[in-house]
Amino acid sequence: MSRIPLVPEITEPLPSIRESEGLLTWVASIDHKQIGIMYLIATLFFFLVGGIEALLMRIQLIRPENDFISPEVFNQLFTMHGTTMIFFVVMPFLIGIGVYLVPLMIGARDMAFPRLNALSYWLFVLGGLLLYFSFFTQSGAPDVGWFAYTPLSEKPFTLNKGPTYWALGLLATGIGSVASGLNNIVTIITLRTPGLTMRRLPLFVWMILVTSFLLIFVMPIITSAFAMLLLDRLLGATFFMPATGGSAILYQHFFWGFGHPEVYILILPAFGIISEVIPVFSRKPIYGYEFVAGSTVAIGLLSLGVWAHHMFAVGLGNVFNAFFAIASMLIAIPTGIKVLNWTATMWGGKIHFATPMLFAVAFLIEFVVGGLSGVAIASPPIDWQATDTYFIVAHFHYTLFGGSLFAIFAGVYYWFPKMSGRMPSERLGRWHFWLTVIGFNLTFLVQHLIGLMGMPRRVYTYHDLPYWGDMNLISTVGSLILGLSVIIFVWNIITSLRSGMPAGNNPWKAWTLEWATTSPPPVHNFDLVPPVNSRRPLWDLAHPDMPDK
Amino acid sequence: MRFNARNTYMNKNKMLVSFFIVSESIFFLMLILAYVNFHRSVTDGPTAENSLNPIKTGIFSLFLLASSLTIWFAGKSLQRKNHFMLCIWLLLTILLGVTFLFGQGLEWVGLIKQDITINRNVFGTTFFTLTGFHGFHVTVGLIMLLILLGLAIAGDFRGPESDAVESVSIYWHFVDGVWIVVFSVIYLWAFV
Amino acid sequence: MDKLGGVFNASSPEMEAMVDLTLFIIIVSVAIFGIITIAITYILIRYRRRSADAAEPRQDFGSTKVEIVWTVIPALIVGVFFFSTIKTMYAVNPPFGNKEPDLVIIGHQWWWELLYPKSGVRTANEVHIPIGNKLLVRLQSADVIHDFWVPELGPKIDLIPGHTNHIWLSASKPGTYLGACAEFCGVQHANMRIRVIAETQEEFDKWQEEQRRIPPSPTTGEAALGAKLFQEKACTNCHLTGVGPDLTHLPSRQTLAAGALENNPTNLAKWLKNPEKYKPSSYMPDMKLTDAEVNAIVAYLEALK
Repeated sequence: MSRIPLVPEITEPLPSIRESEGLLTWVASIDHKQIGIMYLIATLFFFLVGGIEALLMRIQLIRPENDFISPEVFNQLFTMHGTTMIFFVVMPFLIGIGVYLVPLMIGARDMAFPRLNALSYWLFVLGGLLLYFSFFTQSGAPDVGWFAYTPLSEKPFTLNKGPTYWALGLLATGIGSVASGLNNIVTIITLRTPGLTMRRLPLFVWMILVTSFLLIFVMPIITSAFAMLLLDRLLGATFFMPATGGSAILYQHFFWGFGHPEVYILILPAFGIISEVIPVFSRKPIYGYEFVAGSTVAIGLLSLGVWAHHMFAVGLGNVFNAFFAIASMLIAIPTGIKVLNWTATMWGGKIHFATPMLFAVAFLIEFVVGGLSGVAIASPPIDWQATDTYFIVAHFHYTLFGGSLFAIFAGVYYWFPKMSGRMPSERLGRWHFWLTVIGFNLTFLVQHLIGLMGMPRRVYTYHDLPYWGDMNLISTVGSLILGLSVIIFVWNIITSLRSGMPAGNNPWKAWTLEWATTSPPPVHNFDLVPPVNSRRPLWDLAHPDMPDK
Repeated sequence: MRFNARNTYMNKNKMLVSFFIVSESIFFLMLILAYVNFHRSVTDGPTAENSLNPIKTGIFSLFLLASSLTIWFAGKSLQRKNHFMLCIWLLLTILLGVTFLFGQGLEWVGLIKQDITINRNVFGTTFFTLTGFHGFHVTVGLIMLLILLGLAIAGDFRGPESDAVESVSIYWHFVDGVWIVVFSVIYLWAFV
Repeated sequence: MDKLGGVFNASSPEMEAMVDLTLFIIIVSVAIFGIITIAITYILIRYRRRSADAAEPRQDFGSTKVEIVWTVIPALIVGVFFFSTIKTMYAVNPPFGNKEPDLVIIGHQWWWELLYPKSGVRTANEVHIPIGNKLLVRLQSADVIHDFWVPELGPKIDLIPGHTNHIWLSASKPGTYLGACAEFCGVQHANMRIRVIAETQEEFDKWQEEQRRIPPSPTTGEAALGAKLFQEKACTNCHLTGVGPDLTHLPSRQTLAAGALENNPTNLAKWLKNPEKYKPSSYMPDMKLTDAEVNAIVAYLEALK
């Protein structure tokens, strides 16, 4: 039996940013790997900014009737924190890491449209600049919440120009997201290497594919809402102004018509990361590949029909609420299936507790908490207590932080060697991990309770009711620990980039195509793509006596 | 299962445009839903019935529909490698499209002169937004057609195939299709 | 436990129904979470890699039968949950037909306008209800979206400009129930608080009578001077037109400025002197009153029992 040689183990460092020629190469790059890395660096920056916004809020809330921050500033902080974390951290990170990995995982040389890819990135940067520019204007950043409900976000209730910058910034980045979605779909359908059928796609690629369809279907919804909001604000149109015939509720339908699928856009690629990490560190294939892929499609479709569970308190009637309740509860089923499949993957394996796996396992547990609190609030009577309180804040932080962000950390540690050619420090990784888990749960677990005790969200202060101060104190202490964990994370990245152990092609002994080339890959990605006869080409190569069927 | 990822029947450029128009359709769907939502709630002031002229707009719409025909003929000429006719059909498409836009402009100016503006009431708001975004998409299409025409005159697009011509064609048909829906919702629905 | 408020002190039949459902789902959720966490912990311990040995474990690709089992079981749990949800929803929010409302609440930035149509009582921020009665409340908004939420008594509901909502409000035992606006409505959203005072039918009737009585305008002393100032300083521009809260019977209320301050003459003086300090950016302007003017107006308002 002839053996196809793998590419030799050379580590080729990426151009150093200190060379001026190098920097220009990056800015003008249309190479998906450089663009992917630029996405990651930009999102790290926004993550730090969004984190500071959160810390400032938590410090203000450390005790009742605190006056560390004025209500005006606080309202800008929570608006910017939410907007930043969703649109300028989680979404672009997942898109960016997808941009880096998808061509490699399918054995292609680049995306189908490399220049469109670069355009998406620079639109994202432009959007962030537009949004944050608002802080420097006289009236300040937007202060109407990340969903900017009308008519509060319109004149005469908000004369501050912030929401205009908000809508414009998000429009810019949104157009980039649609372009990314289109690019991913065409890339995945047309550029797969011979032998890589759709049923053999790595699950991460499947998740990116479903996410990309969601992007192209739902970004236009929010684009239209922003366009209408801007027309109202700038030209006196009256889409959402009840006083002149418009409808505040229509805005909510449009916003959540996008907003709900958006949270699936934020979680599906994270599911993809977990679906790659858990098998490799359990040394087993994913349990029930077809069911994980199929349940993803089901989630994508269902997610388009549940939006009004954000509107149970709007008063749209029992029948209307009941429909959205059942649809939202149904979505728990394909999600639960995945959790069970990931757990079954670990059963019977040989689990290696490297940092990626630590975050992946923590993801499972945290996400289950978030998912269960989600099923609870899918029920209108429970939601009528919980909505707009800290219970909801707890719920979405468990799913977006304990879920998406933990998966993101797992992905960073997992693919760091491939992107940089160096191993991240396990020691620092463990410190980061444990501080994150402790800090995260201290911050958010108690918020379930305080929400049910009566604390609404988006309040810059609160009265000294029994235990409110104590619980908020615990939450703030947790957030400070989280701040510390992020410092360690950034320190890990910097020192590992400088002096981490050389990684080699495949330090984790993984099985998908990106590990069949050097770390980092050459500009053309592959000297030779291995033959693809199953879902795990590198497993087949390493185990010619028992290849996957 | 034998499979060749680089086969040409899955043309990446046409696929991109096709998925793009799916996405844009949703955008227009939202604007149409807004229009429909408010259609019956306009109690005073200008409405579709008392402000619009479906006959005049209908005639200008025929120009836009005709431009779909001419661009189809352009595609045929490309296939037959008839470069001269390709240029002619492209030019005609542009002229027909410009005529349609001119008609839209006339209509808008007429309405604005009667103080029917985007901020007048929900009819004004939804009417100008929907027709405005459509007109914007037509304009972008015309710019692309002009670029195609310029390149064609300079000698490109000898045929029988061209991703660029075929992709712009798909987009142009989409813009036309959207207008059929918009026209029906705004003009026909109000008057029928 | 009651002291914790919110779901821990359900004080109406509606809230009790909601808490029953909440407890049910919490118990089921904790059980599910427990099972999964225990399973994962067991797996992590039992199947951890013991040494860096190169042998790979048995490669298991899955089982359709298992997948079916763990699809059907969650589906059944969801089904049960959905049916309990529907039952509770209709118990808490039954249709109200053509019944006229007992209370009309109009939300403003950042106070609550209250009208009792049947008796004509008009007041602000502090709701009084008789215990044991299911009142129909109509909710509207004068400006942006607000949300009426008294956790111990029942569901929350939005007040939306251009749209009218209704909920049922009742309390099974007397007490003061605290609530808040639960939809971000601008800079002082945090200080748009609610109080619901549930009392016996006799006490409620007495309260209504007192509220309906129009107190005579004082004619002597500081209070009379205050009454004059109230007109001259144009306080009536807001406080008699519905732009600002109605101040008749102000001393009967427990708080000032929708919960920002406890209601007593000292605080009232502080509020008048410097509203910006206690509810920054609220629409109550600093009228630049001298101390003497403040004292006079306080005397007048305190006389409006």
